[in-house]
Amino acid sequence: MFERFTPEARQVVEGAQQQARELGHDRIGTEHLLLALLTRQGTTSSTVLGRHGLTRSAVATDVARFAGSELDASALTSIGVDLDAVRTSVEAAFGPGALDDQGDRRSRTGHLPFTPRAKKVLELSLREAIALKSRSITDGHLLLGLIREGEGLAATVLHDRGVDLAALRDEVRLALTP
Amino acid sequence: MADTAQVASAASSKDPAVGLAAVRSLRVLVERLEELQVGNAREQGWTWEQIAERLGVSRQAVHKKHSRGRGPLRRRD
Repeated sequence: MFERFTPEARQVVEGAQQQARELGHDRIGTEHLLLALLTRQGTTSSTVLGRHGLTRSAVATDVARFAGSELDASALTSIGVDLDAVRTSVEAAFGPGALDDQGDRRSRTGHLPFTPRAKKVLELSLREAIALKSRSITDGHLLLGLIREGEGLAATVLHDRGVDLAALRDEVRLALTP
Repeated sequence: MADTAQVASAASSKDPAVGLAAVRSLRVLVERLEELQVGNAREQGWTWEQIAERLGVSRQAVHKKHSRGRGPLRRRD
């Protein structure tokens, strides 16, 4: 389905994979698409998102908070588990870094799969393009797809940041109208 | 550390945010330990049957979860 994507939109999709990898996640979710949209400066999507006060670093912080699979040492301390002690014991037997996430190493090669919601975003971006009578799918259509999907982590982040999704959608549509 | 743990526990035992984060972290911890231990057992020649018995799960379950490119055995290739 990527043949109708503009080069910029393709770069966003590839960028989403990169974002997921850097975060050590094993699937591409809506949040990685949002991060990829924000990473590319000067595009329709990043310009409109910027007007709503969204930056890559702010969203990255939110995503890490929601999606982080890291071990939360202070939370574990609250139930009497000393993560440092566990780490020390495990590393004594298996060597340094034995307790680190091995998933990110696995996911550094090959393509990561999309989550069902991220797939839905890609499908919806095609529908948005058709609705706006556009022959190609641009980064702006991807953002519209992200907004219309409305349930993934990207939508949650936007909502929690107080972004007016209806206004955002209207602005993107306006920017995409020739 | 034990004192810290007790204090933290007393202070936050009713806070769902902390409690749920602890559950989530424990789950992550269990997964990582399992991957490590199963990989080690395989390296030492344990069969899936033996590993499953110690883990208290079926052989099929442990095989499905840890074979096919998972675990330290494959990572060191």
